[in-house]
Amino acid sequence: MFDIALQLANVLLQEGGSAAPAIPNKAAAALAVGLAAFGAGYAERGIGSAAVGAVAEDSDLFVQGLILTVLPETLVILALVVVFLVPA
Amino acid sequence: MSYTGSSNPEYVNARVRSRRSQLYDEEEYRKLTRMGPAEIARYMEESEYEEEINALGSRYSGVDLVEYALNRNLAKQFHDVLRWSDGRLYQFVVRYLQKFDAWNIKTVIRGIYADVDKQSVDDDLIRAGEFDDRRLDQLVEAGTIEEVVNRLDGTMFGDPLAEAYEDYEETGVLVPLENAVDRAFYENLLEGLTFDEASADYRDFLRAEIDFRNARNALRLARSGADIDPAEYYIEGGKLFSASELSTLASNPDELVNRLRESSYGDDLSGALDDLEEANSLIGFERALEAALLEYSRNLGNVHPLSVAPVVSYILAKEREVENIRAIARGREAGLSEDEIEDELVIL
Repeated sequence: MFDIALQLANVLLQEGGSAAPAIPNKAAAALAVGLAAFGAGYAERGIGSAAVGAVAEDSDLFVQGLILTVLPETLVILALVVVFLVPA
Repeated sequence: MSYTGSSNPEYVNARVRSRRSQLYDEEEYRKLTRMGPAEIARYMEESEYEEEINALGSRYSGVDLVEYALNRNLAKQFHDVLRWSDGRLYQFVVRYLQKFDAWNIKTVIRGIYADVDKQSVDDDLIRAGEFDDRRLDQLVEAGTIEEVVNRLDGTMFGDPLAEAYEDYEETGVLVPLENAVDRAFYENLLEGLTFDEASADYRDFLRAEIDFRNARNALRLARSGADIDPAEYYIEGGKLFSASELSTLASNPDELVNRLRESSYGDDLSGALDDLEEANSLIGFERALEAALLEYSRNLGNVHPLSVAPVVSYILAKEREVENIRAIARGREAGLSEDEIEDELVIL
């Protein structure tokens, strides 16, 4: 496991190869945003189904349910900051 | 995490918790204990029982109306829970709700035994278990107890009932049959399930229920002084008693009380056990057992929010509500005082 990680790091850092990394800065930042979105999606899965259940019982809860469901989206927004912080 | 890999437990829990919050609270029970049967029916009409009261209002009145509306609502609620749940959650819930299959079978058998007409047996059924309407109708249509037993062949009640039927033919009393139904239900509860961390606690809860039932049966037998071997009523699966221990304990109630006091349920039950020793009131003790079980299930629901625990705790709470309202309505009809009725209630 550890060996593979080391080799992967070697590939990524392109030791002894050309000067440019395999994944450019911006692409790495984009990956980070994607992973964050993945986490947000997983969080919303449970909240969403609970919210639908609550709305089915009492439709007044629709607004609260909607807000709670999209709260994990903040993860994606915060991760988006990385894109602007990373130099090109 | 989730039982099914899907997000079904979250959905079911949200709905069940919402339903649970609509149950009557202490304040409402207090109001109800001051009302007559007709007023209770009207009060129920303004709450979640509206549909049932309206549907049955033309056919029944007074306490009967209250009672049938309660049964019908109970069946509807539990049917909903089954409809919502999927996968493993369904497996767990349906096993618990088979309690009502057992209840229905017993109702049908008693109806035939007492020669009651089919319509009133049908009215007394609670269609909340796993059996569908068609099977229940078949059971109600059966003319003899033997026919009922034959029609249950292939279900989990089939074999135990067939065995008990021989006993019944010899003795002519219903006890062996009813006992067989109860035992089939309780023993099936824990069979063939695999448990993870959350459901292991659920298993403990089921064991507690079995223990309580064993304790209650033993105490009842000891009180009635009947010459029956308690081991015949023993239900497998509990952790507190074995069959032989229960036989000895039943002849010696003091010992049984001590045993309960020293068990892990001792803290919850200590007040009730004191009452039992002082006042010799079995009713109070049984109420305390029910309250302890209710409290246990509710705690479990809070510890494991995304498991079967909140669902089972709702099922128990709903059953309690139905029994409480029935006790109030019957108590008012019989002219009991408010205090006497309140003693009959299990409020948490």
